[in-house]
Amino acid sequence: MSTDRTKIVGFCCHYTVRVSEDALQMAGLLPAGVRFEHVPCTGRVEVPALLAAFEQGADAVFVVGCEEGSCHNLSGSQQAAKRVVQARAILKEFNVRPERIEMFFVTRGETEPVVAAAREMSERAGRLGPLYGEQAKVVEEVQ
Amino acid sequence: MIIAERKPLPELMEMLAGVERLLIVGCRGCVAVCSAGGDKEVSVLATALRLGRKLAGANIEIDEDTYVRQCDPEYLEPLKTRGKDYDAVLSMACGVGVNFIADRCPGVNVLPALNTTFYGANLSSGEWAEMCAGCGACILHLTGGLCPVARCAKSLSNGPCGGSVGGRCEINPDVPCIWHQICEKLTGRKQDKLLRKIMPIRDWRPAGHGGPRRRVREDLLP
Repeated sequence: MSTDRTKIVGFCCHYTVRVSEDALQMAGLLPAGVRFEHVPCTGRVEVPALLAAFEQGADAVFVVGCEEGSCHNLSGSQQAAKRVVQARAILKEFNVRPERIEMFFVTRGETEPVVAAAREMSERAGRLGPLYGEQAKVVEEVQ
Repeated sequence: MIIAERKPLPELMEMLAGVERLLIVGCRGCVAVCSAGGDKEVSVLATALRLGRKLAGANIEIDEDTYVRQCDPEYLEPLKTRGKDYDAVLSMACGVGVNFIADRCPGVNVLPALNTTFYGANLSSGEWAEMCAGCGACILHLTGGLCPVARCAKSLSNGPCGGSVGGRCEINPDVPCIWHQICEKLTGRKQDKLLRKIMPIRDWRPAGHGGPRRRVREDLLP
């Protein structure tokens, strides 16, 4: 579950991340503030879960799914990608930058691409700044 | 079925200004089938509105429910009392459901979450097209089953307007000219004599131009 210090939430399945985020953080691989939400398959991740992560304070959210054709759950990650698109559209309606959420397709069982995704989102969240208060900034820029 | 789509979130946020306790009610009829107002969409909208309110620096308490249908009185019974516990009830049914709640549940502040758009068919997953205008005076037996009232941009009754090119409508090349299709179909079936039949000026009263429509079947009345 997200905590007060969680700023980036990554949804991943049992096959893309086999190591806990605590172990990765202790090894200095994972940026601080990244939490993983483990699901049996990313196809299980629905839009409300993605939005709820933002509501609970995340500045960025990402989903890490298996590359197409590499998983016995045939279309799970493709379903997840569609839901990320839906969540992006909702963020845009609220004048929130859609790049705060991203879908990554990675090779199963390799930790490195997941860590790379987490780092990219951490860097992105740092660049975009806190989620709350962004709306006014975007409106100002548009004007 | 009736096709609908969710209103833009900024419009809903404005509509819900001042609402602190909200009940979102979905419908498992047409709007669930066209993925606009079923259980899933209720859940997505509730989370989106919570996020939207939080982004605006406030909170909103939202409960969720979905009824079998919002256009039959028995399913609205619980809402008559429950609805009064909320500042507003946001209906994710078509306009029929919203109206019926407003009629049947006095004291409940019902608001629409959807724009009701047309009567349509499901072309493929995620794609719907208008097929019927509900005009109340079907002429499909004369047009090969294809409706010029709903599917011709000008609702013409007696053949194409002359603006179509290559069987496509002049308003948009993605839209087929339905009169072109009617002609091809009837000619192919050797029913082209139907094309020579002049349809009289349409009486639009059954289409609703004579006021709200009503249908009564005596044998079914209580």
